[in-house]
Amino acid sequence: MDHHFVQVADRAIEVLDPAAALEFVSDPGFGGITMFVGRVRDLNQGREVAGISYDLYRPLALARFTEIAEQTQRECGPRLKLYIAHALGRLAIGDLAVVIAAGTPHRDEAFRACRLAIEAVKHTVPVWKQEHYTDGDSEWSEGRSLRDADGSKQG
Amino acid sequence: MDIELELFGVLRGLEPGDRLRLPVSGATVADLRAALATHAVARWSRISPQLLGSCAFATPTNVLRDGEALPADGRMVVLPPVSGG
Repeated sequence: MDHHFVQVADRAIEVLDPAAALEFVSDPGFGGITMFVGRVRDLNQGREVAGISYDLYRPLALARFTEIAEQTQRECGPRLKLYIAHALGRLAIGDLAVVIAAGTPHRDEAFRACRLAIEAVKHTVPVWKQEHYTDGDSEWSEGRSLRDADGSKQG
Repeated sequence: MDIELELFGVLRGLEPGDRLRLPVSGATVADLRAALATHAVARWSRISPQLLGSCAFATPTNVLRDGEALPADGRMVVLPPVSGG
């Protein structure tokens, strides 16, 4: 489906590319482009963070990315290009963890599509974050349960 | 039937290769959940019942609810609460 691009980027071999995202969602008929870039920050809940490791179940994550793109298109209209990419592996402070970009004819749909997509990625995709702290400790983030979540299907 | 489970996130490191073969007496996800809870009580001291209860079970394409049938190929993954982005 050429209106959607989804990707899992293994940090050991590639990095997320916002320029590629912008290029993908661009179109001569699109006057509105929005992008969300999630980066690893150096502080979380008062603890100094040295880095983050992202674990991910790739087959289901890619399937969910596609479902999110299709759902976003249903809500924001057919004239939408959407780019969803998430990192896998060990990231340092400032590294890119997620890139979402949306292109539409006007700004309202572009903002809405980008917001819908990033919220769905954060809450419904099988990705897990392990924070590594400067004191040498590491901890998995608590996260949100997918048990009986909307993203699950019958049959 | 036996179910081959793959473990992710906070469950990594609990079993060699992050995989577990578990005999399940029953044919639904609920039966698998009960079997895993029994296994966890015996073997996974750092995993609380609350955390295990918040885990989901999935195939490569779907998260399955407790009342659904286990897949014929016996391969599933355990998904702890997610925290992407």
